[in-house]
Amino acid sequence: MNIAQQIVNGLVLGSGYACVALGWTILLGVARLVNFAHGQLYMLGAFVTWYAMVKAGLPYPVAILAAIIALGILGVLLQTAMMRLVMTQNLTSLMIVTLGFGYVLQGGSALIFGGNPQTLPVTLARAKVDLGSLWFTWQDVLVFAATLLLYGAVWLFTRKTRYGSVIRAVAEDPKLAELFGINARIVYLLVFIFECAAVALGAALVAPRSPILTSMGFNEVIMTFVVVVLGGIGSITGALLAGLGLGLFIAFFGAFVAQAYTTAAAFALLLILLVIRPAGLATK
Amino acid sequence: MTAIGQGRPASGPALRATVFVVLAVIGLFLPRLLGGTSVAYSTLTTIAIFAVMCYGIDIVLSYLGEVSLGHTLFWAIGGYTAANLSVKYGLNGWSTALATIALCVVAAGFLGAVTLRTREFVFSLVTYAAAVVGYEIAFNWDAIGGSDGIVGISALKLPFGVATFSGATQEDLWPVALALLLLTLIFIARFRRSRLGTAALMVQMNPALAASLGIDPRKIRLAVFVLSAPITGLAGWLYAYQRAYVGPDMFETYFLVLMLTSVVLVGRRVLVGPLIGTALLIAQQNLFSLGGDWNKIILGAVLALVLIFWPAGLIGLFRNFRKAKLSPQEKPQE
Amino acid sequence: MMRTIQLAVVALLALGAPAMAQDIKVGTIFPLSGGAGPDGQTVTNAVKLMVDEINAKGGLLGRKLVVVSKDDESTPAVGVSRANEMIAEKADVVIEGWNSPVTLAMQPILARAGVLDITAVSKSDLILSGESNPYAIRINSSNGFDAEVIAKYVVNTLKAKKIAFLTQNDVYGNGFQSAVEAEFKKLNFSGQIVTTEKFAFKDTDFRVQLTNLKTANPDAIIVTNSSNSSGLPAMVEQYRQADIKSTFVGAVGIMLTTVFKVAGDANNGIISADIYFWDLPPFNGIAESNAFAAAFKKAYGADPDKSAALGAAAVQVWASAVQATKSLDRKTVADAIRGKTIKGTVFGDATFLPNGQLQPRYVVFKVVDGKNAKLEALPQN
Repeated sequence: MNIAQQIVNGLVLGSGYACVALGWTILLGVARLVNFAHGQLYMLGAFVTWYAMVKAGLPYPVAILAAIIALGILGVLLQTAMMRLVMTQNLTSLMIVTLGFGYVLQGGSALIFGGNPQTLPVTLARAKVDLGSLWFTWQDVLVFAATLLLYGAVWLFTRKTRYGSVIRAVAEDPKLAELFGINARIVYLLVFIFECAAVALGAALVAPRSPILTSMGFNEVIMTFVVVVLGGIGSITGALLAGLGLGLFIAFFGAFVAQAYTTAAAFALLLILLVIRPAGLATK
Repeated sequence: MTAIGQGRPASGPALRATVFVVLAVIGLFLPRLLGGTSVAYSTLTTIAIFAVMCYGIDIVLSYLGEVSLGHTLFWAIGGYTAANLSVKYGLNGWSTALATIALCVVAAGFLGAVTLRTREFVFSLVTYAAAVVGYEIAFNWDAIGGSDGIVGISALKLPFGVATFSGATQEDLWPVALALLLLTLIFIARFRRSRLGTAALMVQMNPALAASLGIDPRKIRLAVFVLSAPITGLAGWLYAYQRAYVGPDMFETYFLVLMLTSVVLVGRRVLVGPLIGTALLIAQQNLFSLGGDWNKIILGAVLALVLIFWPAGLIGLFRNFRKAKLSPQEKPQE
Repeated sequence: MMRTIQLAVVALLALGAPAMAQDIKVGTIFPLSGGAGPDGQTVTNAVKLMVDEINAKGGLLGRKLVVVSKDDESTPAVGVSRANEMIAEKADVVIEGWNSPVTLAMQPILARAGVLDITAVSKSDLILSGESNPYAIRINSSNGFDAEVIAKYVVNTLKAKKIAFLTQNDVYGNGFQSAVEAEFKKLNFSGQIVTTEKFAFKDTDFRVQLTNLKTANPDAIIVTNSSNSSGLPAMVEQYRQADIKSTFVGAVGIMLTTVFKVAGDANNGIISADIYFWDLPPFNGIAESNAFAAAFKKAYGADPDKSAALGAAAVQVWASAVQATKSLDRKTVADAIRGKTIKGTVFGDATFLPNGQLQPRYVVFKVVDGKNAKLEALPQN
């Protein structure tokens, strides 16, 4: 019984990680852009959802949409600001710029939304499902289902549609793609918007699990980082499997060893992997 | 051949040395000139220590063109070494400093070897991972301090044969901090003109030429990275004595963002760049603080905006301004 | 007419002159931004309120008190800067500390400058070790005292035979657990500790640990979680969702206002203890406490919780000592507090151990109405 519940726990945790990591891995794979503002974007997505529900009285699905749109617009603004650096592929500067943006978002959100913890009044998060002796909430089901759907949709899009191949071409070799008439600028913009929208969706779905604070976000970046590197940068199936795998690893490591050291264990695993296969980090 | 190999013409080493000594003496009396209060001493000491911390990351950024997100690891190694060895074994300042250098070299050697074939963001991510692992170890390992860290670090003791220098107060510590800063500046100035420094720049800017000259880029990378670690490490070493307390907070992003912004603000490969950058940022936080949230916004905005609009830093802006002012006939002065 | 007015003005100025004699500066350094911002704000507000009260009664040593409040952003390096600023601004006393690492970083700085440093909330035992600050004073209770009251309740009243721990993995959490285990030995506890689950301060998902705990099925689970703004309320909710029947025994002082606000009725049934409740005995029988509670409610629109009481008591203890010794000197004032009893605080008589620790008085309680933070005091033994 314990094992079964821990498997459920692992899948619940893992689908959350995978959901939040999708945008990051695509952005990294296509634009080679490390978005260090990811955690703060997650926090902002959660707060916009909260604001929409509590202050504007919108129902949950509409609030999710509001968060996606708000962060999408923010993504346009940020990417436009960074465009020159992106086009010159100045990756080191881009990384530091996103770090700066993250700080601005954190300070700004604290000023706008305040320092108090807030709860997202999502009833699903408190609606329990009892399957025999197993327990989880309807929100967990939603996260799991939405993650699978999202991954499926993105995978189909990149593999089966023309736009998908365009994106993959830009990921492979932007200069060459430009020669073929593809506007890399637009592609980068769209991918960055996708990252912001995806993290907003992730936040809207996963954040209701616990109270939200404007100071949060650091943990999310850490876990996303592990998922992306373990799954292979830019790999969609990799991120899904790594996310779920990481969730299960944490559930079982925590169940049988010590929960408090899971971050250390996950990173140690990461470092070992990087030592053995440093080339394995190369983008696809 | 690019102008990298040429040093400054005309001036000559004697003039440079004199200027340097004059500046050093002024620096020694600077806190007194600024009022002689304990705050003047502590602020300047903090600026000096943080500036030295930045120079470590600056070497990697300016000469390898890479962003190391793991230098907080060396900063922490310095702090923890000083704390543990002086509190547990009563070792004096020289011993703890040597131990710091040794440990930093070992850690950087390991990390550098691991990242030898990685580039750009992969390099950054790996160094970032190393810092996270370092934090977890420091936080959970009670023997070296645990989550609450080590308190009661006694004053810095530097025996000089007959006399012992004791850095008990902020006033006493300032000469040490200044000395560390000046040593770092001299080191960086020599590094620029050294074979390793010029080779590193060449590898960064013109890898083909470097290869044709028989320079092994991997050896250069490792050497430069290993060289940069003890600098930040010694800054952490002195910080432990200044604060009399070290803890896992030495791994916080606060220090990382401070380092990056200081280095980026003035511009790369400017000798006093990180020093000026650090001074400006610390001055803003201490003297013109607008509260925690606004300070974060300012710090983040400065970092992002400088890189977006003036990637060459303030010095680039200054140079453009000068070029624009000079008419075409006049020769630009050195 | 004009001459009268002129004379009056001159007279007033002359009268005012002594009052212009230097104000006494009371410095506060707490987190005012970030995750612990609201908590730090509460303590700072309480300090301000108490200072206003003292000023209304004529000030201290005939001088007015002025509060200088600074934000340490829960970051030790920032706290150190703020401490240096306090020294520069010649603060006569600094009341500080929500996060232990920040307090530990600031202590040597303030001590070196000879500024009296009163720790209001930070719980680390190192604070009173005397190494960084030989005149340390702490208002909040220590893990040692806390463990005694919780252990006694669990062993003697609950008569639990199987106990589990759910502990925050840092010096605070592990220290509390060790202290409780030591108390168990002293009480000749005949039961067993079935399991220990740990978590990180920043965690918000505890399913894995709760699953293990449910399987172990102890009579009581002793929970130590100081993340009152996010982790703890989430833990309480998940605890109920997991349908764990074991009694939730919270470590001393973790059930703060935010926990009730966020987790509401999920808190019902939780047993814990704390060192101050404005509406429970013995505190609702203490005149100073009632006056403080009324004033706090009037000024800030909320009832004061333990954090507010700590801030208020810090000021009262200090002011009392200053009044008694007629001095602002660090050693003199500290010696009038450490190892002595100060009367007339919101805690009643405040007795300090020689090492500067305030001896707490506990109220053990059960939550009966979580949404409204209604508690029922339980008898201690």
